[in-house]
Amino acid sequence: MRAPLFPLWQIDPREYGAICAHLGMTPKARLYDQLFAYLAGAPFRFPRPGGFSRFLAKRRLTGWRIARLDLVTKLFIPDHPLRHILNGVIAVHECDGRGYREMSASPQGGNAIRSIVGGLIGFAFNLAITIPWLGWQLLSYVTRMPFRVSSGLAGKRALISGVNRGLGRDLMLQCLEQGAEVIGIVRNPGSRNALRAELPANAPVTLLVADLSRPGTLVAALEEARIAPASIALAIPCAGVKHEGQSVLSLPKLRDTFEVNLFSIVEFADWLCGSGSRDSEPFARDRSDAGDAPGPGIPPKVPLAAVERDRELSATTALVLVSSMGRWHGMHFSCGYNASKAALSIWGESLEMELRQRGSRRFTVTVVEPGIFASGMTRQTPLARMLFASRSDVASRIVSGALAGRRSLRPPFWFALLTWGICLLGPDVRYRLLARAKPRADRG
Amino acid sequence: MRTIVVGGGVSGAHAALTLLERGLDVELWDVGREEAAFAEPGTTFHAWKDDLPDPVAHLLGADFGALIPPSDPELLRYPPSRQFLASPDDPLWGFKPDGFFPYGSFAKGGLANGWGANALSFDADDLSGWPVSESEMDAAYRTVYQRIRVAGPVDDDLTPWLRGVHPSEPPVRLSSADERLLRSYRRGKPKLEKSGLRIGLARLAVITEASRSDACDYCDRCLWGCPRSAIYNPRLTTLAQCEAYGKFRYVPGRLVLALRSRDHRIDGIRYLDTATQQVLEEPCDAAFLAAGALQTGAIFLRTLKAARLDVALHTEGLMDTGVVKIPFVSLGGIGHPPDARSFQFNRLILGMVADSPPWPRYLHGEILHLTSLLYYPLIERMPFDSRLSKRLFFAMRSALGAVTLFFPDRIASGNDQALVDDGGRWESVRLAYREAADKEHYVRRSVSTVRSALWHLRCLPKGLVRSTAGAGIHYAGTVPMGDGPKRCDPKGRSNLFPNLFIADGAAFPSLPSKSITMSLAAHATRVARIAEL
Repeated sequence: MRAPLFPLWQIDPREYGAICAHLGMTPKARLYDQLFAYLAGAPFRFPRPGGFSRFLAKRRLTGWRIARLDLVTKLFIPDHPLRHILNGVIAVHECDGRGYREMSASPQGGNAIRSIVGGLIGFAFNLAITIPWLGWQLLSYVTRMPFRVSSGLAGKRALISGVNRGLGRDLMLQCLEQGAEVIGIVRNPGSRNALRAELPANAPVTLLVADLSRPGTLVAALEEARIAPASIALAIPCAGVKHEGQSVLSLPKLRDTFEVNLFSIVEFADWLCGSGSRDSEPFARDRSDAGDAPGPGIPPKVPLAAVERDRELSATTALVLVSSMGRWHGMHFSCGYNASKAALSIWGESLEMELRQRGSRRFTVTVVEPGIFASGMTRQTPLARMLFASRSDVASRIVSGALAGRRSLRPPFWFALLTWGICLLGPDVRYRLLARAKPRADRG
Repeated sequence: MRTIVVGGGVSGAHAALTLLERGLDVELWDVGREEAAFAEPGTTFHAWKDDLPDPVAHLLGADFGALIPPSDPELLRYPPSRQFLASPDDPLWGFKPDGFFPYGSFAKGGLANGWGANALSFDADDLSGWPVSESEMDAAYRTVYQRIRVAGPVDDDLTPWLRGVHPSEPPVRLSSADERLLRSYRRGKPKLEKSGLRIGLARLAVITEASRSDACDYCDRCLWGCPRSAIYNPRLTTLAQCEAYGKFRYVPGRLVLALRSRDHRIDGIRYLDTATQQVLEEPCDAAFLAAGALQTGAIFLRTLKAARLDVALHTEGLMDTGVVKIPFVSLGGIGHPPDARSFQFNRLILGMVADSPPWPRYLHGEILHLTSLLYYPLIERMPFDSRLSKRLFFAMRSALGAVTLFFPDRIASGNDQALVDDGGRWESVRLAYREAADKEHYVRRSVSTVRSALWHLRCLPKGLVRSTAGAGIHYAGTVPMGDGPKRCDPKGRSNLFPNLFIADGAAFPSLPSKSITMSLAAHATRVARIAEL
């Protein structure tokens, strides 16, 4: 079963079944697939829902909810995603021979009159139920307004690495759904092709290939694509690597982990905050550093004048550094990962300090230390499943937090409290708890 | 002598055929894209869905480009499987809309590949303001009605206003909903006549004589492409007649951009070879522009620019009929089963006759009862939730219909085409159009009369759909007949270039309400017949 890319617009098979039941139609797998493809492109064709409309669109569609929303959206919110969904379901079923016969079967003669009268009575009854329900929804929306997060990425450009899976993929989808143009970084052409095939053709995504374990490749890829650093409104170097089950003394793995999880990000930040700043450069570059020289096979830096001239520049850039709660403690079988994330957190704080000290108001730095959530790097135990925050929810909070200029984010916060609690109990307790953890197969 | 006709639609085909009949050598230049044949004759629209390998992709497009979103004003989009229409994404398109959103075609046969088949003639009232008399046009109309077979009644209530139509085929069969409406009309005729309203059978360029193998078999697929070729299409008949002449040469793959002139005479044609994408020039001795009013206007403007004449590079005019739809529910039709087979386009027409200066006295309308469209946009437009809308729609489907009114147009300041040099290989053309303020009163009054008439016909009018400018697809008036350098004379000859002839709707100095296809053919025939070459 394919999961919807954009849950605000797309429906899963159960929701499709509920809609078909609501409309008196028989679900068909082939039509569902076509509807799925149509709705995947909807965020880029139709106006994005905002405010109360968005609030109503977020929850899963059940039979009860569809019946209420069908009426509410028809009467009050004509651009609501559900209107596109219902319109699409009727359209694709109408194109199908059997689907059309089913939907067009209607009573004749006097029965038609009775059917019409019955329908109108049903409409009045539906209205009588739906109006109070709408009032309740409105009340819920108003009471949650103070906690509402901003989602203002329309027309902006986001750069995210590691978009082919995991949190990076959810961050990309979140940004796309919020109206951003995304520059996504993937590790190899295979991942790029697979992701391109999965995304709707009209999604404003540029996919670049860069193997972050090789120094300089990310910046080279960006410069080759002539991306202007100052055009980036949100940058999330999210790609990471975690070698599990390795000895803490395995230097090659440790180097590789630090290269991907830390040094590639430092290089990227240098590109972003150095060469591309519209303000005076916040950082003086030391070009004598060997690290600035392009590696073998890496194209030389493209002069700034050659980058996109017409691209609208972003007034501010939010840089998000995706660390981990693992940065607070050691872990014998994933030492490199935890150590690199600790380094990233500390480096991120330092970067923020340096930027502030230099008076640059263009950049904000948000260090994210996510706790346990559904990702390829976590174990799918029953307990973990119960405690998992939804990955898309974590992505949503990261994006909105970064746009709000938050310095640190630790979703879900209960997990941060738990981690800190364990740390405060002292090394002996920490050792007893964490040493029992077992490694998983190596993953990169 | 090298005579070149530009454009392979109705106007170009009839101009070419007339020139050939005069014994001249004729080349017809056209982009000339070919539409694939329509499969499975005899199968009705709804049964056809079972036979299509992927009906959703066929009817809505692989990218769902033809799926009409909710709250969109359109009720209908040409299916993506119809390839005769060009899209604004087409590299040959070249138009920049400014309040005018046109349809265009680069197919052999042009927009007539998808026309509604309504065949009417302009009368003296329609031609008022033209430097051409009704009798001058009549000779050309008679030729055209011999070339194009038209189905219609010998006599009905609209005959006094449609005398120029010469039917040669039995009328198209009515649906049971049409029959019910006609019965209501006969009962309420005295009252309706007082408001100047008449209803009659449609005059349609369709072969209906049952003994013919290409006669309409009422498969309800007119919009999706007539698989029997029963609807007149210049590609299949007039151009085929041209090809029977040895002096005729059809030259596809050429998009004419401009004409070259010397000493106020056309001596060459600049065109894009669509195969090689090269812009080339060839000499010619006389040219007939028949590429459709918009393309003809564009070619004429580029010609003026190349000639470096001291004239502003915008056309004299730009016209299209305004389209207003009034949906209705025929109360007597509720609960009746839909007809199994039918002609998909309108079988009935409506005429409203009233003094409405400066507009022609006759306002034309078409009455359509639903038979075989894709209905989801109509369901979405109903004022109930989708579940109830679907239920009500299909319970009332036989009772649902729409009156489409076509409002005339005239040349107005500011409504024109202008060249835009946007850095491309050739200049684009901006299409500026604003609805005239005084037309609004005419529209409202007419709509109000039709609404009242619908009540008399036991029909409940519901809502109003006004199409955007350009949706009428009756484009005209870009190089109109009249005085001035950017106009042509009553013979269609350019006032600037005596060997250039405007053979399509670009030459119309005003645009009546009636459908224009037969008048395009008649104008082209007349211009080609009297051209001094």
